[in-house]
Amino acid sequence: MPEYDAVVIGAGNGGLSAGAQLAVSSVKVLVLEQHNLPGGFATSFVRGRFEFEATLHELANVGSKENKGGIRRLLEDGLGAKVDFVPVPEAFRLIISDEGLDVSMPFGVDAYLDAIEEAVPGSRSSVAEYLELCKEATVGIGHLFKSKGHIDETVLKSEYPKFLKCAGYSYEEVTSRLGLPDRARKILDAYWLYLAVPPSRMAFSVYGAMLYTFLIHGAHVPRFRSHELSVAMEKRIRECGGAVEFNTRVDKILVENGRVVGVETAQGDRISTNHVICNASPTLAYNYLVHPKTEVPEVAYKNVNARTEGVGSFVVYLGLDASPEELGLSEYSYVIHDHMDLERLYASLTNLFNPQLQACICLNAAIPDCSPPGTTLLSLTGVYQLGVWEAVKPENYVTVKRKVAEQFIDKFEKAMKTNVRDHIEEIEIATPQTFFRYTGAYKGSTYGYELETWDSIIPRIVAMEEEQYIKGVRFAGGSAFLGPGYNSTLSGGRAAAIQTLKDMEGDK
Amino acid sequence: MNTRANGNTNDLLALKDLMPQRQRRIAKAPATALGTPPMKELTGRLHPHRQYLKIDSIKNETKTTKTFRLVPDMVKGTKRLAVFRAGQYLSVKADVNGVRITRPYSISSCPKEARDDGFYEITIRKIPGGFLTAYVWENWKEGHTVEVSGPEGFFYYEALRDARHVVGLAGGSGITPFRSMIKDIMENDLDMQLTLLYGTRFADDIIFGQELENFASRVPEKVSVHYICSEPDATWKGPTGFLTKECIQEFVGDVRDKSFFISGPPAMYLFLEKELEGFNLPKKRIRREACGEVKDIETYTDFPKELSHKTFKIAVNMAEGAQEIPAKAAETVLVAIERAGLTPPSKCRSGECGFCRSRLVSGEIYVRPQDDGRRLADRQFGYFHPCSSYPVSDLSIEVPRDL
Repeated sequence: MPEYDAVVIGAGNGGLSAGAQLAVSSVKVLVLEQHNLPGGFATSFVRGRFEFEATLHELANVGSKENKGGIRRLLEDGLGAKVDFVPVPEAFRLIISDEGLDVSMPFGVDAYLDAIEEAVPGSRSSVAEYLELCKEATVGIGHLFKSKGHIDETVLKSEYPKFLKCAGYSYEEVTSRLGLPDRARKILDAYWLYLAVPPSRMAFSVYGAMLYTFLIHGAHVPRFRSHELSVAMEKRIRECGGAVEFNTRVDKILVENGRVVGVETAQGDRISTNHVICNASPTLAYNYLVHPKTEVPEVAYKNVNARTEGVGSFVVYLGLDASPEELGLSEYSYVIHDHMDLERLYASLTNLFNPQLQACICLNAAIPDCSPPGTTLLSLTGVYQLGVWEAVKPENYVTVKRKVAEQFIDKFEKAMKTNVRDHIEEIEIATPQTFFRYTGAYKGSTYGYELETWDSIIPRIVAMEEEQYIKGVRFAGGSAFLGPGYNSTLSGGRAAAIQTLKDMEGDK
Repeated sequence: MNTRANGNTNDLLALKDLMPQRQRRIAKAPATALGTPPMKELTGRLHPHRQYLKIDSIKNETKTTKTFRLVPDMVKGTKRLAVFRAGQYLSVKADVNGVRITRPYSISSCPKEARDDGFYEITIRKIPGGFLTAYVWENWKEGHTVEVSGPEGFFYYEALRDARHVVGLAGGSGITPFRSMIKDIMENDLDMQLTLLYGTRFADDIIFGQELENFASRVPEKVSVHYICSEPDATWKGPTGFLTKECIQEFVGDVRDKSFFISGPPAMYLFLEKELEGFNLPKKRIRREACGEVKDIETYTDFPKELSHKTFKIAVNMAEGAQEIPAKAAETVLVAIERAGLTPPSKCRSGECGFCRSRLVSGEIYVRPQDDGRRLADRQFGYFHPCSSYPVSDLSIEVPRDL
C-alpha cells in the first residue's frame, strides 16, 4: 500500500493551498481530486473564442507588489507560486432600483468615506466610526488567530477595546447603535452578497473585516482567470515533490480508534496516511467519508447538524460581441438590487424566479484583452438557498435555467440601460447543481456554513481543537474555520497545513 | 455608540458567551446522519459519467449507414437515460481487440424519445478502414451492450443566443444532430425554424432522405429539407452542385437574422467558411459541431509537412505506470496512447471538451488553431489536450486516469 505523510482530499483553493504548504515544508503529500482539473470553484472554461471565469469576482488581501497583502505574501513568499495579479479598478457600482440609488465606490478607506459623504451628506462621523470598527475587527480576528483562540481578558480590554465592541455581536446589533443614515448604511451593505447571512444572525466582525480588507488593499484577479491561480499552486506541489492525481475521488477516510489511518479511492486503491486535510465539508466527511461509520462520534453529527448551510450560486456567463464601451459598461463590479432590506433579500433566496439581487462582473474593465477586440465578458451572479434548484425536475432543468437567466439579463439591462440580449455570442448558465457536479460541494453550496454570530470565525477559532473529532483530520475549504471565499480558503488551507505540521510534531 | 460605564465588561461577556452559545446549539442539535447523498439523482439524470445501454434494434439507413436504438441496461445499473438537448452527442467507449477507444456520436433521436420511450438512437456510417466502425459492423447486434458517456457538447439551439431561424449546413453523417432537432421541433419541445441543406456526393449516400422529407412535410412552416448532390446519376431530380454561397442564398434568401449551424467532415468546414465569408455574418451567427479528429492533418498549411511521415517517442506517465510509446506525427497524441493499450480519458476528440487534458512535461506539439480549446493558463503552465495535438518532437507527458 502506498504511504504518504499526508493526503489532501480535494484540490480546491483550500486543498491546493494546504497541499502546497505541506510540499514546501518537505512533507510527502498526495493531493487527490475527483475532477480532471485543479481548483474546485477556482476554475475557468472555454466556449468559442471566450474563456470564462467560473466563480471569482475579486480577490481581497492581495495588495500591490510593494505593499503586499496576506494573499500575495502567502502565494509568493510562502508557497513560491507565481500568479500575475491584475488590480480591479474600483470597489463597485451599487444600483438600488426601488430607491433610485446609483453610486460608484472607490477603494481606500478615506476615498470610501469621502464618496459616502458625497452621496449622503452628514454621514461622515457615523460611517467613520463604522469603518473604525471594521478595522478593529480585522486586527482583533488576527490577534485571536495568533493566540489560537485564547481569550485574554486583560489584553483584549486594554489593547482591543473597539474590537470588543463588535466581536460578540451581530451585524444588526452593531450597526443599529451607530446612528448611520439609512442611505449610508445601504452603501456600506453593498458587499453583503459575498456572505449572504441575514444581518440579525451575521457576525459583524466577519463582514467588517472583509470590507476593511477590500478597502485597504483593493481587489485583484489573476490575469488568466482563477484557473491560473489553481495551476500555479498545483505546479508548486509537484515542484516540491508532492503528487497530485486527478479523476481520483476519495470514497473513504479510513479511521481506527479515533485516528485516521488512510484513505480509499473510488477505484478501490488504499493509501496509508496518518494525516488528512479534507477539502470536502465536515458534513460530507462525517456523513459519507469516515469509515467505518462507528468511528463518527455522535457529537460530530450534532456539530454539523447545528450549523446552517450557506447559499449556492447561480451564474449567467455571457460572451458578448460588442465592446464594453458600446455596451456602456465602464465599471468592473455591479451590485444590482431591487432594495437593500437584507432580511427581505435573504428571505427571497428561496424563490426560484424573480431574483431581487445580482452581482455582475465585467472582466474587461480589469483585463481589457481578456476577450477578443470588440467583445465583452460579462457574468451575472445570484444566490439561492440550498434545495431550491434541487427541486427542479431534470426534464425541466434547461427551460427553467433559461427562464431564470432571462430574468437576470432583463434586470441587468434595465439597471444599466443597455442591451446585451442582441449581443450574446456565447452563454452558459450554472446553478448549484452545476457546482455540485464539478466540485462535489454539499448540495452545490458555495458558501459553506453561514457565518452566524455563534458560528463565525471567532468561535470557530476558539473551538478548533475541541471540535477536532477525529485525530489527524483537519479541514480546509469554504466550510472550514475561516469560511468561504478565495481569500479565506487560501489562508485557511495554509492554516490547516500548519496545524497538520504541528500534529506531526506531536506524533514524535 | 452608547457609552456605558461597564461597556467593556458587557462587550467581553458578549464575546465570551459565543462559546457557551455554540456548545448549547451543538448539544441541542439532532445526532442524525444524512441518508442518500443529495443531488446524486439529479446529477445522474443530467450528467452521468457513464451510461450502460444495450442495442434494442438496428435499422439500415443506407448501404454504409446504420441506426442503433439503445435502451438502458438495467442489469448494469442504468435505470433511466440522461436528458439531453437536441444536437448533443454521446461518447461511445469500446474495447476493440484490446484497445480501449472512444468515439463521439451525435444522438439522432429526440429528447422526448429518451424521456418518454426510454431510448437513444445513434447513426453510424461505416468508414473504409475505420478502426471502430469495422468492429461495430462485426459486433453490434441486438442485445449487445454499449457503454457511453452522458450527453455532451454544445451544438444545440439556444434561444437566448441564436436566431430563431436556423440554417443547417450538413455533410456526410453530420446530418445526425439535425434529425434530432427536426424531431424535437415536431414534438413542440424546440421552438425554432430550420432550413436544412444537406450536401452529398452520391444520391444513395443520403442518410434519412425520405424520412426527413416526410417530417418536414408535417411541419412545413417550421422545417424544410433540401438535398444537394454533387455527382448525381441520371435519376436525380433535385438540385446539384456544392453548398456554395449562391446555393445557400437560393434556398435561404435573406441571410441576415439567421443562425448557421454547420455539421460535417473537417474539409467541409473549410469550404463553407470561405463560402459564408461573403455574407459578412457576425461570428455569433455561425456555429460548428465539433468535427472529431482531423484525419489528413498533413494537408493543413501550417502543419510541418516535412515531419508528416516521422514517428516520435512519447514517455507516458499514467496511473497504470510509466512507459515509452511510438507516436506518428500525423496522428493525435491521444490515438498514440490508445494504440499502446493505455486508457486515457477522452470524450469529444476535437480539442473542445478538455476531458483528456494532460501535462506536457517536455517536447513540441502541433495544434490546429480551430481545435485549440486549451485554457490560457494551461498553455502557460504546459497542459494540453492530446485529442487535438500532434507530436512534432519526442514528448514526455503525464496523463490522468480515466474516470
